Amino acid sequence: MATTTTAIIDRREGEDGKPIITYRFAGDRGVLVEYGEMEFDLTLNFFMLGVDAALQADPPAGMVETAPGFRSILVMYEPSELSASELVDHLRSVHDGLGSEQEMTIPSRVVHMPIAFDDTTSREAVERYIRTIRKDAPNAEGGTNIDYIVRYNGFRDREELYSAVLASEQWSAFMGFFPGLPFMFPLDPRQTIFVPKYNPTRTWTAEGAVGVGGPCVAIYPVESAGGYQLFGRTIPIYDIRQRNKVFRESPLFMRPGDRIQFHRVEEEELLQTFEDVHGDRYRYRIEESPFDVGAFLAWLPTIADEADEHRRRREAAAAATPVP
Amino acid sequence: MRTARVIDAGLQTTVQDYPGRRRMLAKGFFPAGPMDHFAHRAANLLVGNDASAATLEITLGNFRIRLESDATVAVCGAEAPLTVDGEAVAVWESHHVPAGSELALGVAAGPGFRAYLAVDGGFDVAPLFGSRATYTMGALGGFEGRPLQAGDALPLGESRANAARRRLPAASRPPYSREWEVRAMRGPHAAPDFLSESDMETLFGRPWPVDRNSNRTGIRLESHKFEWARTSGGIAGGHPSNILDNSYPVGAININGDLPVILGPDGPTAGGFVVAATVIHADFWKIGQFRTVGDTVRFREVTIDDAIAAERQLSATLAESTLETI
Repeated sequence: MATTTTAIIDRREGEDGKPIITYRFAGDRGVLVEYGEMEFDLTLNFFMLGVDAALQADPPAGMVETAPGFRSILVMYEPSELSASELVDHLRSVHDGLGSEQEMTIPSRVVHMPIAFDDTTSREAVERYIRTIRKDAPNAEGGTNIDYIVRYNGFRDREELYSAVLASEQWSAFMGFFPGLPFMFPLDPRQTIFVPKYNPTRTWTAEGAVGVGGPCVAIYPVESAGGYQLFGRTIPIYDIRQRNKVFRESPLFMRPGDRIQFHRVEEEELLQTFEDVHGDRYRYRIEESPFDVGAFLAWLPTIADEADEHRRRREAAAAATPVP
Repeated sequence: MRTARVIDAGLQTTVQDYPGRRRMLAKGFFPAGPMDHFAHRAANLLVGNDASAATLEITLGNFRIRLESDATVAVCGAEAPLTVDGEAVAVWESHHVPAGSELALGVAAGPGFRAYLAVDGGFDVAPLFGSRATYTMGALGGFEGRPLQAGDALPLGESRANAARRRLPAASRPPYSREWEVRAMRGPHAAPDFLSESDMETLFGRPWPVDRNSNRTGIRLESHKFEWARTSGGIAGGHPSNILDNSYPVGAININGDLPVILGPDGPTAGGFVVAATVIHADFWKIGQFRTVGDTVRFREVTIDDAIAAERQLSATLAESTLETI
């Protein structure tokens, strides 16, 4: 167990096809458990989701809740019922009971969402930013973030960016920051988009706006501030008033493990769909489709060369592009 | 139905319950709840409520409310002149007030910044995801998801017939200050892997001024150039404070670039910055009493065993047996 001056409770080297596991104190009511090193590796996220599901199925008495991150789980507990060391022991047994990532199948849904690229509200958010926050931001040149995303990633034109967004399912890795907000990453590494965040951040973003920050794509659940570069708009993913059937069970639509497939529509159609969602006339297209991690990992090497080329082109373009 | 009507809402008054909205972190909800859980729990104890009953969190003061039913009330927290129909009454004590009484809380001169009004039966707004707490960042929960306004009619729960008036004795009330000391545990992302040992000495060694832009989402401190144990955040970003996004605990001392921020009950649940230390639960109430002009905070590093002992002591104070009957 820990001495008085360490944040790290324990660390176990990777074995049996499992990642390195690090246990850290997160105050006197939380333990943060991390998987692998700080790498952008979706398999760490898959492993985390497997652990989280096992933990939900067999929680130790006194565990209050878990809060996933990209490659970590924050486990909150009630210290009068459970100690940090008992919790860590329980986590160890959960980890031991799991197979390697390759053997996992993760409950997942394919969710089809319309997207209108370069919509009016995204342009309005950027225009407001130029007017009230910062007028010389390189990411806001021309009143849009889209040309900056194109430039930073070395795409030929806007259409090539839009194709990248449409060509891959977006993996919902975890939710957080704000109620209902999914942190998403493309499952196809040939379609990765990477871009620095706003500096400073924006004060207004429309509900349903879709943006990218770092390697992460997000949908804004409500009108809010934000720091991601905006490229389009989709339909509601959160409705506290539960006006559509999809929100009856929960006002939060997205779940970790969802795969979001965007389909391009014109803005006029998107706005009509927005109204139909609120009028309970629109039905969200959802397919239950468990995600086979082994099959995914077996597929990755078959496209590794193309993914590398995509990455090299992106990195060369990024190096020649100013940061906000 | 028993009700109370707001006459003057003051700077910011919200409905809060304890421990707030739990089991929603993974969906992006911080728990909300009272920023000072000690004063909230004390006020409930005095009027015979469970600690979980909803109270009003009153920021600074200048608050007036009319009880439209007979009630037992108590105000705990920052000292401010309290009157019932113009007559001065004591804080940290319960009072019986007849229907139609007007309760007024003046401005807290300091130390301290927030006071909690408990009414027997609690403020009975509709729970959302298991809690009545107002989550200001998400604009939900509490009364219509917002701070109170003049004219709001708040429903009260069923009356508790507790005849005796009670007081939390002065010796059991926590000391308030303009120079706060707050105990915190190192981590989750501290020295030696993220910050240097000398950074930790700085974090725990110096007084930090409280920034005026602090609120329920967080207490902003003062920018400081830490040395860091790394030169950059690697794939997570250019600044060494950047990490791949993860979830945060309430009370996290989050280093956003160069700026340390203590995450309050309405903060963001997740983000990509290190948390160098975490305020222990037994001391978290103090951040609700920080005034946003002129107060300073010094962090004192403690172990988990110290935190458990502190929690036990605090819980023992907030017990029926501590109260004096008046």
